[in-house]
Amino acid sequence: MKKIIAMLLVGTMGITTLTGCGSTAAKEKEVTEGATDEIKEEAQSPAEEKAEEATDEATDVTIKVAAIETAYGVDMWTKVCEAFTAKTGIKVELTTDKSLEDVIGAQMKAGDYPDVVHLATGRPAALTETLIKENGLEDITDVLSMTVPGEEKNVSDKIAGGFTESSLTNPYNDGRTYMAPMFYSPCGLFYNSALFEEKGWSVPVTWDEMWELGEKAKAENIALFAYPTAGYFDAFFYALLYEAGGSEFFAKATNYEEGIWDSPEAVQVFDIIEKLSAYTEKSVPSNANNDNYLKNQQLILDNKALFMPNGTWVIGEMKDAPRADGFSWGFTALPAIADGKDAYSYTWFEQMWIPAAAENKDAAKQFVAYMYSDEAAGIFAAAGAVQPITGFADQLEGDNKLFYSIYDNGAKAALGSFAATDPVEGVNFADTVFGTVNSLVSGDKTKQEWIDSIKKDSDLLRAALK
Amino acid sequence: MKKSSKSIFLFLCIAPSFLLFLVFMIIPTFNIFRMSLYKWGGYSPDKTFVGLDNFIKLSKDMKFFQSFENTIFLIVAVSLVTFTMALVFAAILTRENLIGQNFFRVVFYIPNILSIVIISAIFSAILDSKNGLLNSILNIFRDKNAEPIYWLGDQKIVIYSIAMAMIWQAVGYYMVMYMASMASVPESVYESASLEGAGKIHQFFHLTIPLIWTNIRTTLTFFIISNINLSFTIVKAMTGGGPDGSTEVFLSYMYKQAYTNSSYGYGMAIGVVVFLFSFALSGIVSLVTKREPIEL
Repeated sequence: MKKIIAMLLVGTMGITTLTGCGSTAAKEKEVTEGATDEIKEEAQSPAEEKAEEATDEATDVTIKVAAIETAYGVDMWTKVCEAFTAKTGIKVELTTDKSLEDVIGAQMKAGDYPDVVHLATGRPAALTETLIKENGLEDITDVLSMTVPGEEKNVSDKIAGGFTESSLTNPYNDGRTYMAPMFYSPCGLFYNSALFEEKGWSVPVTWDEMWELGEKAKAENIALFAYPTAGYFDAFFYALLYEAGGSEFFAKATNYEEGIWDSPEAVQVFDIIEKLSAYTEKSVPSNANNDNYLKNQQLILDNKALFMPNGTWVIGEMKDAPRADGFSWGFTALPAIADGKDAYSYTWFEQMWIPAAAENKDAAKQFVAYMYSDEAAGIFAAAGAVQPITGFADQLEGDNKLFYSIYDNGAKAALGSFAATDPVEGVNFADTVFGTVNSLVSGDKTKQEWIDSIKKDSDLLRAALK
Repeated sequence: MKKSSKSIFLFLCIAPSFLLFLVFMIIPTFNIFRMSLYKWGGYSPDKTFVGLDNFIKLSKDMKFFQSFENTIFLIVAVSLVTFTMALVFAAILTRENLIGQNFFRVVFYIPNILSIVIISAIFSAILDSKNGLLNSILNIFRDKNAEPIYWLGDQKIVIYSIAMAMIWQAVGYYMVMYMASMASVPESVYESASLEGAGKIHQFFHLTIPLIWTNIRTTLTFFIISNINLSFTIVKAMTGGGPDGSTEVFLSYMYKQAYTNSSYGYGMAIGVVVFLFSFALSGIVSLVTKREPIEL
């Protein structure tokens, strides 16, 4: 008798332990079955479905939108999704998170893909880059010729020039667009304009003037330069490449062309960064990580350093930080290489894309097209996010007006990034190029060591170009 | 008949936990070994079998060796210092009658219940080059105008700063473990030892340590495993592996390769090396510390 009871108890224990797994497994199966059913349906009657699309989709389809939560907040996404549903009837299931990769990454590994993802390149988890490298993005070139929902114009008429021509939207350099440009921000050097007025200094126009200013500031115990993290050198470095050799040189360099890093233009870029690192506040590398970078940004607010490379989001990021009396934000493009040469400001923007494995691609494309409607752009702008729409920056007010007018004031826009390659094990080019700046500042590596490692990695990446 | 029903009963008893162990431990471990043989980004369905290619690349990857070096340094330095401090504190707190004994027990144990992120924030504040506690104290003895010490920026000392935080975090935990086993050593043993004329230090080395030896051996394995795991979280929260990769450890480098660099297969190859390394190291440590247990 005892034994029977014991057996029963063990049995119950076993079953209860496994129920947890069991029910999820069952649920998962349901979900996948549901998904396959839908796919089957799609496969069976593509023509019919296309015909019914306009009416059917409007009532039945729910798209899953996943968007990264940044300094702009979540509110604007909720509002935009509601407005989209009101306009098209397509329902939206919104997921937002500060570390979006952790939320959708696991689901994607299990085959459950969102239909639209708003997640920029350049994040540590590199989900977007991984999908680029693995050909996991849907070609959205046709979105450009779609009409913006609720408006007459085509998407391509609304997106400002140049935004859909760089490797940030066309990663494979084949003229096809895989990522839609979102929320752009000019990057350049931020400073305290009140300090410049007080000391009677003028903002340097060339790098030579920059070094002169560096000496003047040093006499007053102010460092010329500080940076939040070495990663912020990306926008800086790209703009400098443009300044040194224009767009042609930029294209060659970002495609790892052989011998490019020995060219006189590249030497100029390396020299400037080396010299700049000598003028950098010495405590910067200590705090140049994701948890302490605000201390580096604080150096500008405290008048301990003059310039830092950053984007317009820094204003919001530092809005509650204490600051020197009379502090007022100033913003300039990078100084030009020489008198009369062009000054550049890098245009940083985020990206929205559709996974190749998404279920409701047509509805998802409508959502992407809707992002360029005046209605959506208005909602985003209220939260500080500016869509790359022609003429939109003219309507901005306050600080943003100053920042976004940088291109009207003579600076040229630098766009693009290093070309996508197949993953090369052990080679992280951003770390090699930008991360090493920390070592240049602390004196742990020399310029030559830096250049050598860039050349070595560049050779490896060239062989793996897409 | 009786025997077989007993074995069925035993089988049923073990089956649930064995099944869980199989599903959550054996199969994932096996999968890591399998995936380390593929070139795969992590999301696409196409995986390319590359054999031992990932391991060959790994053997030439200098950044991996740097993370290897850092990890070994942390395992050795942190374990040694934590071990010594925990043992000495435990002996003092169990054997001596100090005022505020309980207070010290609590104080030493507190770091252990704090989350790693908080510990990292505390140490970032302590080690800050400008207003940090440590530099402020050192400035009493140093020239005021001397360059401050960049605890988290100087690549030669940043790894020691990480070690400091890890030791501070771990001492209390191991101290409590040693105290528990020290408390079970009967008082009479110490009494007779002191009657024989053995001093406190002699008692510590010849009575306390041999009598809690089994416990010490267990904690040595803990040291290895927890140092590999903890160094990742602390590095991630304090320096992010920087400046310029100088504090990269096993798992932070593995994360960087598997995710940031989209080389999931390569990351898993690093995982395999870490697995084998920690397994081997624990095995060796366990072997060399093997003693006949002393029975009283």
